[in-house]
Amino acid sequence: MTPATIQAEITALIGTLAIIGTPLQVLMPVGAVALVALAVVPAWRRALGPAITATAVVLLAGEALLAWFHWRLWELAVVVSPETGAITGRVAVPLWIESEKLYVWALTVALLAVFVRRHREELLPGISVILAILMAGAAFWGKPFTEPLPSFLGQYFGYLQAMQSGNFGMAMGAYQGMEGARQFYYNTVYMWIHPPALFFAYGTFALSFVATLLMVTRRRSSFETTAYRWVRLGYIPFTAGMLLGFPWAIMAWQGQSWWWSGKVNMSIMLWVLYTAYLHARLYIRKPGMWKWVAALSIASFLVLLLTYLATYVVPGAHSYI
Amino acid sequence: MNSLAHTRTWDYALTVATVVLLATLGLQSLLGTFYAWWALSTIPNWEAFGYNDFVRVMNLIAAPQVVALVVVMGLCVPKRLLDRTALIVVSGVMLGIGLVAWVITGSMQDGLATYLALAGLIQVAVVALTVAGTRGPSYMTEGRLVKTGSGLLHLGFIAFAYVVVALQNSAFMLPAFWVATLLTVVGTLMSFYADKLAFRTRVRAEVDRPLAGAGD
Repeated sequence: MTPATIQAEITALIGTLAIIGTPLQVLMPVGAVALVALAVVPAWRRALGPAITATAVVLLAGEALLAWFHWRLWELAVVVSPETGAITGRVAVPLWIESEKLYVWALTVALLAVFVRRHREELLPGISVILAILMAGAAFWGKPFTEPLPSFLGQYFGYLQAMQSGNFGMAMGAYQGMEGARQFYYNTVYMWIHPPALFFAYGTFALSFVATLLMVTRRRSSFETTAYRWVRLGYIPFTAGMLLGFPWAIMAWQGQSWWWSGKVNMSIMLWVLYTAYLHARLYIRKPGMWKWVAALSIASFLVLLLTYLATYVVPGAHSYI
Repeated sequence: MNSLAHTRTWDYALTVATVVLLATLGLQSLLGTFYAWWALSTIPNWEAFGYNDFVRVMNLIAAPQVVALVVVMGLCVPKRLLDRTALIVVSGVMLGIGLVAWVITGSMQDGLATYLALAGLIQVAVVALTVAGTRGPSYMTEGRLVKTGSGLLHLGFIAFAYVVVALQNSAFMLPAFWVATLLTVVGTLMSFYADKLAFRTRVRAEVDRPLAGAGD
């Protein structure tokens, strides 16, 4: 295949994704409004459980569509050396970057919500509001079906055009950039563990946040236990994911200024806050300690949101601006 | 105050110190992020000319906090092995050896690495004694699985800190990193889910009660 035919096939693939995925992308904000309505109106809350299950099923169907899109992309997106003309590899674009981040987070929260058993009735309204915000964000901001992977496709199409230009120097420059991204970003094993581990943790932390709010308003120990159990579940992949970021950063950002960069700072802050929460909770039976535990839990979740937003606002290594 | 109450107060003080240090490190990270954001958007070419100074100042501010955290960890770790007087002496000696290493080599990194290596060795002994089931190590938590998990995860963090401080440019970096990660993950898993991992457990009925001091 020539660069031009590869570009044409990928463009056609994007078109197919948009045709199949647009109804789903339209359905997402509608579903978000419905979830909020069910959460807010007490008489409708009985329908929340089935509604969340239906949402999870629909989001899973969308994820399957995205998985197919990525599979086809992997088949098409070859990287060829301008020097030898040999294929150096294919780009395995993960399903949790760029336009798909909020979608994956929404899917994670929806799936976790399906499996909530303890305090299910009390937790579902709060979880629904968070899920609705994520779905609306994915539909209006992420647009995973109609505007997929803008950075990757921009770079890859740029590389194809450079390869087609006949200018060896330009082709070589574009190839080095693309091959570097393939080896150290898209295809590296860290990319396939670090972000999914963190997304799973973010999902559990969202559920813990809802339980913490219930603990503050109802002041019962069982909500505190529920909040702790969700943090406990997420803290392990969260810590593992954070640790895995270290050798990846050393390998991928060699020579770059990444230490103390915005996202790294915020992530460290997030980890130390959740660690502080787990330490403080060892003394939950001390009078008044629950207030500190609740404050740390709420602060941790707010920092989680800031950490996510920081990648879009604060420049530097690990930012998307 | 009896000795158990003393131990609990001591444990509580160490926990509060850990939480406070973690919080101040978190605050520094937040302020550093805001500063970097402001500098990048207002100072021309800051990334090229100002970033290195920023990293230097951030390291300078973080260093005493990290040292304090390492010292607290050093006090936490052998507390399972020694009584408080011996613990303070051992911690002081470890800190002293670290300081001597710093002075001799002229590198704070080497001093920290020496201190972490000593803390790691003691933690290995703590884990071995806990696994063997001796009565020496004292923990805030009950159950051998929980205790072993707690010991392993602290060992994992010490090992990870050692990788960051001493092995970043070494060929041993990756193997040591994976060992540290494995210890941390397995240790955390054992600490959090000991009741599900154990063959024989005593399940305590959960009582839903008002939070302590909720009527304040």
